[in-house]
Amino acid sequence: MKPLHVGGIGLWTPGFASAAAWRTGAPDPAVVAARPDIFPPALRRRATPLAAMVASAAAEAAAQAGADLGRLSLVFGSALGEQSALSMLEEYRHDEGMPSPTRFHNSVHNGPAAYVSIATGNRRFSTTIAAGWETPGVALLEAAALLVQRGGEVLLVLADQPPLPPFQFQDPFPPLAVAFHLSEAPRTATPLAALRIPRRTEGHRPRVPAPFANHTVAGALALATAVWNGSEGEVALGPAGARGWAVDVLPGAPP
Amino acid sequence: MHRAGERADYPITAFSAANGLGMSTAAVLEALRSGRSGLTRCRLDIPFETACGALPDDLPPPPASLRAYDTRLCRMALHTLDEILGAVQDAVRRRGAARVAIAVGTSTGGIRESEFAYDEWARLGRLPASFDFDHQHTFHALLEVLRAATGADGPACVISTACSSSGKVFGTAQRLLGAGLADAVLVGGVDTLCQTTLRGFGSLQALSRAPCRPFSATRDGISIGEGAAFALLEREGDGPVRLLGVGESDDAYHMSAPHPEGLGARLAMEEALAQAGLPGSAVDHVNAHGTGTPANDVVEARAIGGVMGEAVPVASTKGYTGHLLGAAGATEAVFGVLSILHGFVPASLGADPLDPLVTISVSRTALSRRIRTVMSNSFGFGGSNVCLLLGAA
Repeated sequence: MKPLHVGGIGLWTPGFASAAAWRTGAPDPAVVAARPDIFPPALRRRATPLAAMVASAAAEAAAQAGADLGRLSLVFGSALGEQSALSMLEEYRHDEGMPSPTRFHNSVHNGPAAYVSIATGNRRFSTTIAAGWETPGVALLEAAALLVQRGGEVLLVLADQPPLPPFQFQDPFPPLAVAFHLSEAPRTATPLAALRIPRRTEGHRPRVPAPFANHTVAGALALATAVWNGSEGEVALGPAGARGWAVDVLPGAPP
Repeated sequence: MHRAGERADYPITAFSAANGLGMSTAAVLEALRSGRSGLTRCRLDIPFETACGALPDDLPPPPASLRAYDTRLCRMALHTLDEILGAVQDAVRRRGAARVAIAVGTSTGGIRESEFAYDEWARLGRLPASFDFDHQHTFHALLEVLRAATGADGPACVISTACSSSGKVFGTAQRLLGAGLADAVLVGGVDTLCQTTLRGFGSLQALSRAPCRPFSATRDGISIGEGAAFALLEREGDGPVRLLGVGESDDAYHMSAPHPEGLGARLAMEEALAQAGLPGSAVDHVNAHGTGTPANDVVEARAIGGVMGEAVPVASTKGYTGHLLGAAGATEAVFGVLSILHGFVPASLGADPLDPLVTISVSRTALSRRIRTVMSNSFGFGGSNVCLLLGAA
């Protein structure tokens, strides 16, 4: 299979409103919630934090690639999805308890992809994938297969936030969204990198800063970092162990 | 859009379903052919009356090796998978474990157990000792169960796009096979009755008090059901029915209301036909999404009529099983396979008196005839649409 070309990368995590901000290494304490420009006011009011950070990262990646977010296929990968599904549990303890309609429709796993689709008028393909800590590898595989089937361009967004109490992990991680613009042919004369098709491997932990070490989409941050650094070779997408995934990165446009 | 000339169709070499109609594919088929609904008064502890489709019998616990994963979702998946487990394991032997992938749809995963666990935590200040979030609540727990049961060790993912989830797994399978990333894919869908979906749809005032009546002038909402369905798609081999095309689109309109002109639905149906290289007139039967809400049915009927004409026999099977949400797409794909194999269109239960705004040919009685192609529609929250085109080999 042909390599995939990376045309743009977006990122949102608390303290860093963009990939550009992340690369400075200096967190901004005022960045506590994503504020995507692509949402009109009505959507902005209803959007969940996860939908907002997905939209923010998606818009940044598409813009860097010079692509129209309203005309891209979208693959959204998230192991845990929306917190609103868990936030509704308290309602069921009361005889007459009912979730709000907005909270209920926001609880679906594909909510963030749907908000991006609605905000941009995009009726093209979208899907939402979960595969635990394999999510970065499997979602990248779905994006690659989609490009084989349909050609063109795909926006891959990987995002998760920690589960709400009482289901929180012992080793919690911050919210994180990372987006990649991927295309079959280079969109610009200077693509950021090219990727081979991801593959299973005896996996290693993705190389990411400590707060993200156990993050379900740590592999996305490791891949973004490798691309920014101009690294060449295998990047571990996680998880460690027999069910690991890795992708080979080729800097810039391959021969 | 799928590239012209690329192979899109693959044989379905095994399939199974269990839901409110019965615990086996044979029982489900018998009920579909005889027009017997599986909807009864909902027994969950909810603050309103509604009908729902629950599995009629108890489900055995998983084997000891999978006890940590013990949820109703896990039990339902293992029970339904058991019917085709031999075929899947045979594919693993023939193809190699790494070449057999899994793509399964669910909308709520193991949240039913999380509902109980949360209640205990709120009362006692601790989660139940038997509860394990990672092995029970999460979507990937279902993947671990299916991997362990089948031995399949290729790429494995849950597709969760609300009510289109287990229709879209056929698209994922088609892509994995087409790109040479797998030789066989176990696809399916599983969802259980739970507070989340019943109270959630209740909050939207979308539930019917009585069994749902898709396409009827007196329809007043949906009925929720639970169930599971699986199918094995292979790159090569013989199956009496083939997946001919998969159309996937978004409405880009609203989180919980369909596009008023059914634009996304039309795009998905047209893409499925284009992949197969068939005109709309070639479709012999449509298994409609047909939820029974006032908003969905007229919009979908217009979209069906626009793409395939108004003469094609259309049935919604939601009146039999209820809306199986994340399991609906795979379940109704199995119904489509059964229609082709046994030459029938099920009666669209509850459709009489037909809504005068519905001008397509809703089958109010069962039809016996040769069926060579079936379109199966599934539409979900967020405007996620998938249409599967199935055909006789």
